[in-house]
Amino acid sequence: MARGKAKEGDGNWKKFIWNSEKKEFLGRTGGSWFKILLFYLIFYGCLAGIFIGTIQVMLFTISEFEPKYQDRVAPPGLTLIPQVLKTEISFSISDPQSYGQYVEGLNKFLKNYDSDQQASDMIFDTCADKPDDYIMRGAFNNAQGQKKVCRFKREWLENCSGIADSSYGYRDGKPCVVVKLNRVLGFKPKPPLNESLPAEVMGKYNQYVMPVHCSAKKEEDADKVGPVEYYGMAGYAGFPLQYYPYYGKLLQPKYLQPLLAVQFTNLTYDTEVRVECKLYGENIGYSDKDRFQGRFEVKFDIKSS
Amino acid sequence: MGKGAGREYSPAATTSENGGGKKKQKEKELDELKKEVNMDDHKLSLDEVSRRYQVDLSRGLTNTRAAEILAQDGPNALTPPPTTPEWVKFCRQLFGGFSILLWIGAILCFLAYSIQAVMEDEPANDNLYLGVVLAAVVIVTGCFSYYQEAKSSKIMDSFKNMVPQQALVIREGEKIQINAENVVVGDLVEVKGGDRVPADLRIISSHGCKVDNSSLTGESEPQTRSPEFTHENPLETRNICFFSTNCVEGTARGIVISTGDRTVMGRIASLASGLEVGRTPIAMEIEHFIQLITGVAVFLGLSFFILSLILGYTWLEAVIFLIGIIVANVPEGLLATVTVCLTLTAKRMARKNCLVKNLEAVETLGSTSTICSDKTGTLTQNRMTVAHMWFDNQIHEADTTEDQSGATFDKRSPTWAALARIAGLCNRAVFKPGQENVCISKRDTAGDASESALLKCIQLSCGSVKKMRDKNPKVTEIPFNSTNKYQLSIHEREDNPEGYMLVMKGAPERILDRCSTILAQGQELPLEEEMRDAFQNAYLELGGLGERVLGFCHLYLPQDKFPRGFKFDADEINFPTTNLCFVGLMSMIDPPRAAVPDAVGKCRSAGIKVIMVTGDHPITAKAIAKGVGIISEGNETVEDIAARLNIPVSQVNPREAKACVVHGSDLKDMSAEQLDEILKNHTEIVFARTSPQQKLIIVEGCQRQGGGLSAPSLPPPHPAPGPALPPPGVILPRQAADMILLDDNFASIVTGVEEGRLIFDNLKKSIAYTLTSNIPEITPFLLFIIINIPLPLGTVTILCIDLGTDMVPAISLAYEAAESDIMKRQPRNPKTDKLVNERLISMAYGQIGMIQALGGFFTYFVILAENGFLPSTLLGIRLDWDDRSKNDLEDSYGQEWTYEQRKVVEFTCHTAFFASIVVVQWADLIICKTRRNSVFQQGMKNKILIFGLLEETALAAFLSYCPGMGVALRMYPLKVTWWFCAFPYSLLIFVYDEVRKLILRRYPGGWVEKETYY
Repeated sequence: MARGKAKEGDGNWKKFIWNSEKKEFLGRTGGSWFKILLFYLIFYGCLAGIFIGTIQVMLFTISEFEPKYQDRVAPPGLTLIPQVLKTEISFSISDPQSYGQYVEGLNKFLKNYDSDQQASDMIFDTCADKPDDYIMRGAFNNAQGQKKVCRFKREWLENCSGIADSSYGYRDGKPCVVVKLNRVLGFKPKPPLNESLPAEVMGKYNQYVMPVHCSAKKEEDADKVGPVEYYGMAGYAGFPLQYYPYYGKLLQPKYLQPLLAVQFTNLTYDTEVRVECKLYGENIGYSDKDRFQGRFEVKFDIKSS
Repeated sequence: MGKGAGREYSPAATTSENGGGKKKQKEKELDELKKEVNMDDHKLSLDEVSRRYQVDLSRGLTNTRAAEILAQDGPNALTPPPTTPEWVKFCRQLFGGFSILLWIGAILCFLAYSIQAVMEDEPANDNLYLGVVLAAVVIVTGCFSYYQEAKSSKIMDSFKNMVPQQALVIREGEKIQINAENVVVGDLVEVKGGDRVPADLRIISSHGCKVDNSSLTGESEPQTRSPEFTHENPLETRNICFFSTNCVEGTARGIVISTGDRTVMGRIASLASGLEVGRTPIAMEIEHFIQLITGVAVFLGLSFFILSLILGYTWLEAVIFLIGIIVANVPEGLLATVTVCLTLTAKRMARKNCLVKNLEAVETLGSTSTICSDKTGTLTQNRMTVAHMWFDNQIHEADTTEDQSGATFDKRSPTWAALARIAGLCNRAVFKPGQENVCISKRDTAGDASESALLKCIQLSCGSVKKMRDKNPKVTEIPFNSTNKYQLSIHEREDNPEGYMLVMKGAPERILDRCSTILAQGQELPLEEEMRDAFQNAYLELGGLGERVLGFCHLYLPQDKFPRGFKFDADEINFPTTNLCFVGLMSMIDPPRAAVPDAVGKCRSAGIKVIMVTGDHPITAKAIAKGVGIISEGNETVEDIAARLNIPVSQVNPREAKACVVHGSDLKDMSAEQLDEILKNHTEIVFARTSPQQKLIIVEGCQRQGGGLSAPSLPPPHPAPGPALPPPGVILPRQAADMILLDDNFASIVTGVEEGRLIFDNLKKSIAYTLTSNIPEITPFLLFIIINIPLPLGTVTILCIDLGTDMVPAISLAYEAAESDIMKRQPRNPKTDKLVNERLISMAYGQIGMIQALGGFFTYFVILAENGFLPSTLLGIRLDWDDRSKNDLEDSYGQEWTYEQRKVVEFTCHTAFFASIVVVQWADLIICKTRRNSVFQQGMKNKILIFGLLEETALAAFLSYCPGMGVALRMYPLKVTWWFCAFPYSLLIFVYDEVRKLILRRYPGGWVEKETYY
């Protein structure tokens, strides 16, 4: 009996898909299908029009030179090159393959900092060679055309520039990382007041530099990290202020953010070493949730063999 | 609700399958049961009975023997229908409907989490949380539904054990009172007036015993019970009393011949519960709807699962997408909403004396196309009342209304005083004591129905009958018997200390035959031919009204022949019983309830056919049917046409007569096809002289009608709407029935129909409202997968909508007033008028939902653009966006974002998308208030709905702004302007739908109606 019913069900299905008596496909005649499809075509057409219209209106209200809200992007993040999964730099000294991706990442990133990229005087401004105050370049619009950008010489990164050592120290087990402050339009980082700073940072204090300091994440790892070398403009371990504020992609398409190379010259091998790099400044914030805001953590695991 | 006498409605259904052998067997049994009852105990002599049941007819059974039989046969109670165990019910709530989909979602979540846990050191806990939330949602909604169901069945249980029945049995020669449950076959039982018969009895002796078999046969006339075998048919013979009928007066002794389920009533009860096969219409609608939604969810989920695998996503990601699509597609809160809506209606109906046991039965009455109503008690007051009087050659109308608000007549005539005196004195009925505060017409009486009617009538118009009887003490009497058909009594005269008065009442023609004079305006006139004709006309007229007519006469006995102290002998009859003075006629009827004609009229305009089923005489039945409008004015039966045209009944074309009165004896010989023919061709049908078995046959016939016999090519009939009335007073089906009328009032059915139809409409609205938000919930996921934008709406926010903001507004639609007079349209056709049809889906998903989705996406794009990610940047950004190690993602302005920063923006977008859905759901709620009318016509009178609007807004604001939500639900505070992004779309929804409804009203039956009227 069940089979009989199933058969009947099949018949109904077939009839539903194509009812030859009434010339109905899926329960509708051709004319009916045409009408309903036409309706939906027009309806969705109108909706799409309205949607695009409202989006256009919204875009009108937004300046192309500066975003409306920046409360979510500031305080900026501190990031490192090479970019690695789970921020773990792990390689073996004897195996160039194992650090190939880091070298490549650095190469790719630093390409923009090559001097042949910074040739044009139309775009680039020769700023002071030592840290200096912010350079304001007018309002955030293109009334005066594009804004000029400060040059940043790759050579300043010295051992980590990749010019002398194309492996950025990885070959010798002394890995370099490049630290940068995330670009935030119009953001003027304020150097820290000198009270609360760690002694190491205080030592190289300059009022026009945003100091960065890398140290072991945990106290007990301190001896595993060994000495840390900083290569930046004029030997300062930080970001000079004359590169700020950033005027945005449209006004400064060739903007070069200041970099700081950090080299760990005597890391303990064959063990995990966790290092935290921290940027100090008055308007730099840290967050428990966001582990890249104003600081970052990187884990080294270098195999000696 | 009086004595708790309820009437049952089982939204029964025909069995559409003609199943296997077992089923057939059961059907055969049912068929046999439907035929008349088989028994021969009534034909046996007392000795044979005694031998058969091995019982001493004076001493009864021995206690040991009784205990043996009890152990063997089981207690004398009807077996309740098999109940499902509680845990099965609970599991059904837990795993039925959408729950199973959500369980799959939850399991997938746990699976995804465990995979992540194995593969990563620091797995994100999102999936674990989501899994827990989903499981919690299922369990909570399951518990909620279970609780609702348990609550309503508890109310029922309280009805079950209302009064433990007692029975007086004689065992070992001693009278003992025992629980009716312990009565066994062969027991010698004594019943007296007022008792309920504890089992089927063969009477062995009786004293003026009368029983009311109306619970079995529907006939309210008390019937005499005596040991004589008078009829072949056990239902008609006098020497059998049936279980659960009532003894009205007198006493009787009988031998129990069957107990429990083996009694006639027990067999009918099981027959009645056997009718209940199908599910309620609303249950089928909901199932159909769940299948539809589940189908869509599974289809979308699987196709996107495959699509995402093809697009190169990992298995894990594909599974997470699958979860998202399932969560977005299932309206989690909807079943709870439906339950609440039904509960609310059930409560409302309970207030109007319709107790609903099974929530889904709420709507059943609404889809009713035929109501088979029992006459006694439902259409009528179940109380014989004096309706008319004839005296002074004039018919006077008495007040038959329940509250004595009706017309009255001139009571000054001396004839009336005489008539009232006869009716009061020649009357053995008395009020039961202790009812001084009850209004007279509602007092309980001891005595037969007509005498009680007379008693009440006289008490009402002339004051205390008891005093009258005290002043005119009774000297002797001859009780009514069927041979002389009169009752007389002789009283001392109040107004003459020396004289006696003879009063007599009885069948009018017999009384008239004994009279030689007639009282007119207090004057005693000789009874002439002219007066006899007048009497005859009046008698015919009252009889034609279906009323029971009694004649009254009296005689002042001459003082010289009958001085005080005369010994009247009722056996020898040493006093005159002829040449009396005729006083008048009084006629009685069980009058219709006040609200019934109105209710029947409402049913008729609502397209519901009302069929009256009664055990009464056809003339009475017809009169009542005419009185309450079941046979409407101007409609004729075949017999009427025949009488009008003066032709034999056989020559009348039955098609011409819209009304018809079917006699039970005709029904017995009728085939099912003939019955169908009658049900189909007549709009106004009365079944008279029907037995309970026949009632069931009629109900089944009605159900066949609902199945649509006009289209024979269609598949077997769907369970037809048409709640049936199983025989009243049957205790068992009450437990099985889904709905009970607490006050036995037909008018309550109409309320039920009205509420049922309203809830069907309102459920449609509620579902349309809830389903609409599914589109803005699912489209984010689809676009996330297809065009690789950051996810605009997360699963948590989806749950917030489905289980948070959408709930109260959806429920508030249950309070919506009807748009038009719902009692003026035809009952819904269960085949074509579905709860959720393609037009509703087309409106909710295809049109309003799409506008809502655009509103949400607009807000989403606004927030991202204002934060630096212009729409053009967003396309294809997903891979980088969701890459945890990418902490310098560039936006349209060249700014760089860490993972967490952009996630905060993303979750802000989720919150804003959610808020936008709330905003567009405002408009949706307002447009869902009506299906055809403009909201300006309907008004905003639904306070709950306004509360719902405020509540969802407040909840959304709370979720967004409450501190800590960022951690708990990852919902972030919104800037004020972002709330307004969806406003244009909200307005668009409102305007679009108002325009649509305007076209709908302007061009009824047009394309817009065909495609969008749900």
